[in-house]
Amino acid sequence: MITLTINGKTVEVEDGTTILQAAEAHGMKVPYYCYHPDIGIDGNCRMCLVEVNGNTDKLTISCKQACGEGMDVQTESPAVKKARKGVLEFYLINHPLDCTICDEAGQCPLQDYAYKHGPGDSRFVEEKRKGPKKVEFSDKVIFDSERCILCTRCTRYFENVRDSRPIGVSDMGGKCTITLGPNGPIEDPYQLNIIDICPVGALTSLDARFNQRVWFMDFAKTICPGCSKGCNIEAAAYQGQLKRFEPRRNPDVNKSWMCDDGRLSYDRYNLTDRVRSAHVAGEPAELGVALDKVNELVGDGAGVAVLASTKNTCEDLLALRTWAQAHGVTQLWHGAETWAGDDFLKQPDATPNTAGAQGLGFEPVPDDVPALRGLVVAGDVPVPPALLGTIDFLVHQAPTAGELGPAAMVLLPGRTPLEKRGTFVNHEGRRQQVRPAVDPGPGVPEDWTLWRDLAGETARADWPSVRHVIGAVDRALGADKVASAS
Amino acid sequence: MIQENKVLSARFGTPDSCSIETYRRDGGYQTYVETLRSRQPDDIIDEVKRSGLRGRGGAGVSPGMTWSFVPKQTDKPKYLCVNGDESEPGTFKDRQILEFDPHALLEGVGISCFAFGASTCYVYLRCEFAEGIRAVQKAIKEAYEAGFFGKDIAGTGFDLDCYLHIGAGAYICGEETSLLNSIEGVRPYPRNKPPFPAVEGLWGCPTVINNVETITNIPHILKNGAEWHAKLGHADDPGVRLWCVSGHVNKPGVYEFETGFKLQDLIDGPCGGMRDGRKLKAVIPGGSSSKVLLPDEVARVTMDTPGIRALGSSLGSAGIMVFDDRTCMVDAILNLMKFYAHESCGQCTPCREGTPWVVKILQRFVDGRGRPQDMELLLDIAANMEGRTVCALADGACWPLTSIVQKFRHEFEAMIPSAKTSSGRTATAAPTGAA
Ligand SMILES: Cc1cc2nc3c(=O)[nH]c(=O)nc-3n(C[C@H](O)[C@H](O)[C@H](O)COP(=O)(O)O)c2cc1C
Ligand code: SF4
Ligand code: SF4
Ligand code: SF4
Repeated sequence: MITLTINGKTVEVEDGTTILQAAEAHGMKVPYYCYHPDIGIDGNCRMCLVEVNGNTDKLTISCKQACGEGMDVQTESPAVKKARKGVLEFYLINHPLDCTICDEAGQCPLQDYAYKHGPGDSRFVEEKRKGPKKVEFSDKVIFDSERCILCTRCTRYFENVRDSRPIGVSDMGGKCTITLGPNGPIEDPYQLNIIDICPVGALTSLDARFNQRVWFMDFAKTICPGCSKGCNIEAAAYQGQLKRFEPRRNPDVNKSWMCDDGRLSYDRYNLTDRVRSAHVAGEPAELGVALDKVNELVGDGAGVAVLASTKNTCEDLLALRTWAQAHGVTQLWHGAETWAGDDFLKQPDATPNTAGAQGLGFEPVPDDVPALRGLVVAGDVPVPPALLGTIDFLVHQAPTAGELGPAAMVLLPGRTPLEKRGTFVNHEGRRQQVRPAVDPGPGVPEDWTLWRDLAGETARADWPSVRHVIGAVDRALGADKVASAS
Repeated sequence: MIQENKVLSARFGTPDSCSIETYRRDGGYQTYVETLRSRQPDDIIDEVKRSGLRGRGGAGVSPGMTWSFVPKQTDKPKYLCVNGDESEPGTFKDRQILEFDPHALLEGVGISCFAFGASTCYVYLRCEFAEGIRAVQKAIKEAYEAGFFGKDIAGTGFDLDCYLHIGAGAYICGEETSLLNSIEGVRPYPRNKPPFPAVEGLWGCPTVINNVETITNIPHILKNGAEWHAKLGHADDPGVRLWCVSGHVNKPGVYEFETGFKLQDLIDGPCGGMRDGRKLKAVIPGGSSSKVLLPDEVARVTMDTPGIRALGSSLGSAGIMVFDDRTCMVDAILNLMKFYAHESCGQCTPCREGTPWVVKILQRFVDGRGRPQDMELLLDIAANMEGRTVCALADGACWPLTSIVQKFRHEFEAMIPSAKTSSGRTATAAPTGAA
């Protein structure tokens, strides 16, 4: 351990802690642009300069300097404030200041720091530097050199995280700019991450660009349902429509990253043709009537199987299991949806909660399926044709009717993963909280409530709200795997 | 009077001075072989420290000190990089050594590498030095053939390889860590220090970067002893230096003197006085990255580190630039600042954004659009750059700038529209530069 003082306050830190980390951990935030915890230290922006041991001639970059025993650090001294203000002035003199039409506005550290630490007025009466705008780095990413502050986070992301160099810095001095390399457009399937890490609006996503101002959107901290990695995301919505997925930092799961496919999948969950009421034999029916019909069809459960999508939360699945077991249904299966995984984030399992389903006793569909009398399909999941061959009845619960809908004796409404609250268990057994980003609108109750209500009085009494089911899931899964707090 | 003492330049006039034959005939490589056979590395480092030699690349650090920071116990290879990027405006001394006595440099390379345990040396030259490149390339080949590089040198078991690396001619590549990146083949951004190259340099291995002239001094010190060197010139900054004189003197050129002489004597004596009998206006004494001296300071200053520091300037790379009274100092500093803005690598914000801003302001003055508040603005921009950047390029840009703004404020004022100079002339009649 090392003891030092920061702004007069004595603090103790681990060996190797940087001044910036130490200050931040003790509530004294030092501003920075080029440093990024998942890309590394570079020391080019000069925003994080601090005063060490009273040396005002040369200030120290706090992102790189490790704390030393007995150091006296000032993060707000007159010299530091002046230097910071100076750096911001240097950034702003050539910046186009087109915040009114910039997608970054509202979540821009250049705006934020300029407001907090900046000069407030301009001493620059010269002509601003001109540079290339609307440069297509790929069919997904657009670059505006005039907004770029040359922090090199984007180039270092590719170098340090993706081990590639599709873009780099060209030219010198004030003419420096980020340039596409000789191999043409960026092809990396994780390229859109550079848009989040760009501290300004120099890199914009063709998809999200000019779509919605950030301050009009609602953000939900949830989990990408695209595969079993379970990347932590913020899902942004405007008036009930999903607009963006952005990665949310979790050092243990996805760091600050997500794949482009996952990111661009948000629109898949903006449904136009959703099931808004229960149906029996193709005709709209009261939910209670439909539920009674389900129990009637299932009877004593003999010859009935449940096939659950692994896009269901553990809460959905626990309620489903509780109902099934109460009605003698013992064949609990989960679906399988795969895609090509890779060695970075993407897992071959293209659903978010297979591990949760397995933890709750759902098994893969067996190779030789026994002859079935009836099938209950919970969620939107591909059904192996063998399951449908012999059945007398089909119950289907899903956000959209899909192909199965017309064949279902009972059709029940369902929610998308972006409308659910509960738990997903990722490929490595990590339990993560799923929170609703949008509301499905009328007629679509939380999925688990359907199964709870089907299960009967006891379940209804035990689980008045989702919090109670979440607790039950935790107990059902056992205490060995700790939930990720975020 | 001021006397040349030709140590480094002694062989510059020798016919065929670059060949290994003439070099060996003049006693070359003897010190190297004797040193390898009879001396211990630590003892050499100590000798160099005691000689009082300061680095000739600009920062003036003792090479003996730098060498002693190289870790002794390490599994990693150690490197010497000889800095021959020589791009500081007003500096053209290393070029003389490269073109006229390359073997003297290589002998220094051998001794220096032996002293701190380097097994490989890169001689880094800018591509514009076509003559020097040819001469050094040939000299390296000859030295290998004569057994001064390669395996088991002079039967002592010491192995050393020496390579020439040619840069693309950027000023920034002379900054020692930028030079390392250039050799590594990545964008030559200077590195943040620490770690210092002596511990973590080329490819992460212990590396010493020394200037061409610094290394060329080493054989002389080993041959004649630390005491001999310590007695040359000024006691606190001893030795001989190759002084580069440019500008408005009758005889510009490279002169070799011991430190400690009076700058005025150099201008009046060997340099033949001011050109066309003009009056002296200013001298930038240590390459462009040093603070300007006024005539009365030139009259007093002695050319050694303590003497020049007393006047707030520095010896830098010993590039002495002399300006006569026809020079427009605003124009002169604009010219220099264009250089710094052009050569800024663009890595860090204050230098990347500050140097072009300064150029734009100075250009406004020259275009007749200076404003009274601009002098304060220039000084404040400099204050926001100096000591706030990754490397010293920005500092080097600030020193001539601030000193010229402070010492020649009247010339700036005279260029502000409608302002009158002390002699009553209007700004449009202000001098527009002589160079
Ligand atoms: C912008 C910049 C350019 C430099 N250019 C050179 C150069 O061309 N040659 C040189 O020897 N040193 C140059 N230096 C100084 C080197 O960084 C380093 O101090 C020097 O090579 C060390 O050698 P020495 O100790 O033998 O003087 C430069 C420094 C800066 C900041
Ligand atoms: S494009 Fe953005 S991330 Fe890349 S260097 Fe410029 S400001 Fe930084
Ligand atoms: S890797 Fe998987 S969880 Fe992560 S963003 Fe992509 S699809 Fe979503
Ligand atoms: S001070 Fe200038 S030259 Fe040095 S690293 Fe910064 S931008 Fe590059």
